[in-house]
Formats: sequence, C-alpha cells, structure tokens
Amino acid sequence: MKLLEISGLTKSFGGVVAVNDLSFSLEKGQIMAIIGPNGAGKTTLFNLITGVYPPTKGSIVFNGRDATGLPAHRIATLGIARTFQNLQIFNNMTVLENVMVGQHTRSTTGLMGAVFPMGPVQREERKVVENSLEKLAMVGLADKAMESAPNLPYGRQKMLEIARAAALEPELLLLDEPAAGLNSTETRELVNIIYELRDRGITILLVEHDMETVMEIADQIVVLNFGNKLAEGTPFEIQNNQEVISAYLGEEEF
Amino acid sequence: MKDLTKRKRLRHSLIIIFSAIILLLPFIITNNYYLSVLVIIGIHTIVVVGLCLLMGYAGQISLGHAAFYGLGAYTSGILTSTYNVSPWIAMLAGAVGTGAVAYIIGKPIFRLKEHYLALATLGLGLIVHVILMEEVELTGGPSGLTKSIPYLSIGKLVLNSDFKYYFLVWIVALLAIILANNVVHSRIGRALRSIHGSEFAAQSLGVDTGKHKLQVFALSAMYASIAGSLYAHYITFISPNPFGLMTSIQFVVMAVVGGLSSIWGPILGVSVITVLTEALKEVIPKIIPQAGGEYEIVVFGFILVMIMIFLPEGLTAGVVNLYERWRYRKERTDETSGN
Repeated sequence: MKLLEISGLTKSFGGVVAVNDLSFSLEKGQIMAIIGPNGAGKTTLFNLITGVYPPTKGSIVFNGRDATGLPAHRIATLGIARTFQNLQIFNNMTVLENVMVGQHTRSTTGLMGAVFPMGPVQREERKVVENSLEKLAMVGLADKAMESAPNLPYGRQKMLEIARAAALEPELLLLDEPAAGLNSTETRELVNIIYELRDRGITILLVEHDMETVMEIADQIVVLNFGNKLAEGTPFEIQNNQEVISAYLGEEEF
Repeated sequence: MKDLTKRKRLRHSLIIIFSAIILLLPFIITNNYYLSVLVIIGIHTIVVVGLCLLMGYAGQISLGHAAFYGLGAYTSGILTSTYNVSPWIAMLAGAVGTGAVAYIIGKPIFRLKEHYLALATLGLGLIVHVILMEEVELTGGPSGLTKSIPYLSIGKLVLNSDFKYYFLVWIVALLAIILANNVVHSRIGRALRSIHGSEFAAQSLGVDTGKHKLQVFALSAMYASIAGSLYAHYITFISPNPFGLMTSIQFVVMAVVGGLSSIWGPILGVSVITVLTEALKEVIPKIIPQAGGEYEIVVFGFILVMIMIFLPEGLTAGVVNLYERWRYRKERTDETSGN
C-alpha cells in the first residue's frame, strides 16, 4: 500500500529550480533514503512535504488524501513528523517538556480544560507524561527527562528531536541528516532506533550523507541531482547504477 | 515522574504559604489608607497576571488593556446602577462580553506580525476611551456615571469596607494566579512556550500558533474585565479617566518590571509601581509645586528603560540572578583570600 505519493513536484525560488518535476512513492513500512550532493534539493523536498512552503507545481498525496499546500501544523495532524538538519530544540524547556509538545496532536485539552484542569484533563496530562517518558526511554534519555534541553550534548539533542517527533505517533517520519555530527557509537544507536521505529509501524524517509548507514538500512533509495531524480532503486541497484556512479558516487568506496 | 511530582508539590506549597501571608495581612495592617492601597494592588494584579500570560507566553504586547479593564468596569457600573442587574451577573456579563470583543478584534490582527497587534490594541484603547467620553447618555460622559454603583454583597454580607473588600479582591487575585499557573503548565501553555523556542518546530508538531495566541488574548481580556468590575464596585463611581492610555502603559510597565516568566512577577511589579505612584504623589508636589500627573510618566519611562537594560527578565528573575552573581563573586574572593 502506498503511504506517500509525490508526483510532478516542482519548487522554484525566483529563477532557481530547487526541485524539478519529481515523482516517487513510498510504501507503508519502508525505510527510504534520499541521497544526493549538497544543493540537490533534499531539504527543500522535506520542507515541501511538511508544508513549510507550498510547491510551485505538482502534488503530494498522503494516505490517499491530497496534502498539497496545507500549512505545516495541518500536515503534522495528518501524521507526518520530522526532525531538522539544524537542531530545532525548544531551548526554553526541559527535555521532557520538549517531547510533551510532540504529543500536542495526540491530546485535546483546550483553553477551558487548561484553566480548570478537572479529572479528564489530569488523566490526559498523566498519559502525555507517560507516553513522553516512553519515547525518551526509546532513545535512551529517560534519566535526563528533567534536565534543561539545551544542556544536553549535541548527539543527545539529536536523539531528543527524534523522540519528540516520535511522540507525535506519526505514520511517516522524516529524518533530515540524522547521523550528521554523530560518532560511530551514536550512529549505531541511531540505526537501532530507526529499526525500532520501523518495527512500530512507522514509515521512514531520511536524507543522509553517511553512505554506509544509508546502504545498510534503506529498503529503497532515491538519488537527487540538481533537483532532478537521477535514479531510484534498492541499495544494490543504486550501487551498480552507472549514471549514479559517474554523477555522484564516483569517488565513494563501498 | 518522581521529580515531576516533587516540583509540582513545591509549586503548590509556595502558593499556599503565599496565600496565607496575603490573607493574614489585613489583621496586621489596620490603617485604612494602606489597606486601600493593597486593594488597588490586588485589582491591578488581576489585570497584570492576564497581561503576563499574553506577553510572556504568547509573546504579544497589548497597549489597550485599560480598554478591557474599562469595558468590565462600565458593564458592571451601567448594568447594576441603571438596570438593577445583580452585580455578580453583571460581572460575568462583562467578562464574557469583553472576551468576545477581544476574540473578534484579535482574529484578524493575529494574522499579522507582532507590532501590528500592539498598534491595533493601542487603537482599540483610544476608541473605547472616546466612546466612554462621548456616549453621554449611556456612560455619563467625561464626568462619569451619574447614579452610584452598589456595593458587592455575598448573601447578607455587604462588602462596604476596605477590610471586607480586601479579602474578596485578593481571593480573586490568588485564583487568577492559580488559574494562570494552570494554563502555563498545560498543553496550551507548552504549545505557547514552544512557539518561543522555535516556531518552525512548533508548527511541525501540529501546534496551531495563531489559534492559541488568540485564545490567550481573549482570556487576558477577561481577566482585565473582571478586575474592572471589582474596581467599579469598590470605588462605586467611575469616569473615563482611569481607563485611558496612561493606565494601559502602566499595566505594561508593571508586567515588565515584575518579569513575565514567573507567576510571582505580577504581584511584585504591581506592588513596586503602585507604591511608587503613591510615593510620587507625595514627593513631586514638594519639589515642583505646580506639577501635574505627567511627571509620573517620566519616572515610569525611566524605570522601564532601566529595567530593559539591566534586568531584561524583570525584577523577579533579576533579583535571583543578582543574588547568584553576588554569591559567585563572594566564593571567588573567598578562594583567593584563602590562598
């Protein structure tokens, strides 16, 4: 079953075409990687899918519903979560509170409930705390719950962002360069977390430069170059694709 | 989980201790003048708590809160004196009506960026003030309501003294603080704080930023309205004068002086500014005999600038920071002298 269908997606900023007539689709339960050199349009693609800005042309269909041009918060409500290439941690909150914001769409307390927190509101709040702690435990941050988020080291902050996005309990999770800046131990942890998320039924789309990791975990790879799709296939197919090798992977060792 | 309950418990015991102090105060301070100043501090605290929710958590400045304060006062005043409506029902009507006004005017404004809200609320404040001045038949115009406003009463107990009114005002003020505290530590409060942390990330997590800002704006307007109603039944006479731009600015100064990030900020900010206003009333005429109220503005402006430069997080956080810096320096000198 197709979870995400991108067709004819185009985005131009003034005269620069960042993403050009891009089409691909993502099966439910897959791990798909988007690779390509810097400036290939990978992050632009993420921003289009998550509604940061609307596409110039083309459509995004999620779960059979047209999600083209919806604002970011509506996209999140549909069940698409993301992390960021440059960390976007809430520095004014604790680690736990960061993840609790991730549960925003999974809870319903309105202003009246917030002012007068009666039984159901308190139950929901407890549920939110429990779920958030569970997400923190998944990424190994349970014991850091009450710390101020900016006090975590960089690698831990990246894990926190994943936990926060996972707290949305999304069907599709977009990870923007999750391994960047991580050491090899942390990268191992990351790979295990990604498998764990997949086993929980979350479909994963990631942008990554670390080829070793990509080739290990991706079921399917899409190669972008100058906003165009250069190739698509399994890691094996991509590694043996002449066009990809000459355009991008030429110097890489496998 | 354990830490969380511990923090919550600490927060609650602080509130309880503080409430006890406040409710014991009138038995110690029996001077009527001081008591009346404390009543006014309580009324202003209610407004400023709402304003702090808006400024500290939704990140929006309102320069028109005196208008909401005035709407509450006049709704109560007119309904009870001219139409003989029960004061409590009039107060509720004022709060709901004012909240609705804020919601309706906020809806288009919150689509715009921050400074536009400040300007629009400034405009609202001026419009409301003009209406209070010009709608002579309804409001009595510049000279105020002609019929006197009845005292509030609970059952047979008529709240006609500073002593009795003190308890009503401060119970409402404490409730206002507790309810605001509830909001801060709720899903809505977290959503609002996340906007400050990273609006980009907040939206990616499904936070509809505009909606929550608007709701808090309406809530803070309701706070101001209830404070206005309490003011009307305390003074029992109202004219447009206390609901002008100067009062709006004063509320903002109180909020900034106290600090926006702590629920204790409003009480501190309001107390400092109110006491200072009273003191200035005494002192300024002695220095400049022909001076009017305008000189207060100069002093408030000066305080605002000083706070912005030296204690940008307000007195509450500022005092804590200063104390920590002092302790740090002391530890260092102790170390060097020890060597």
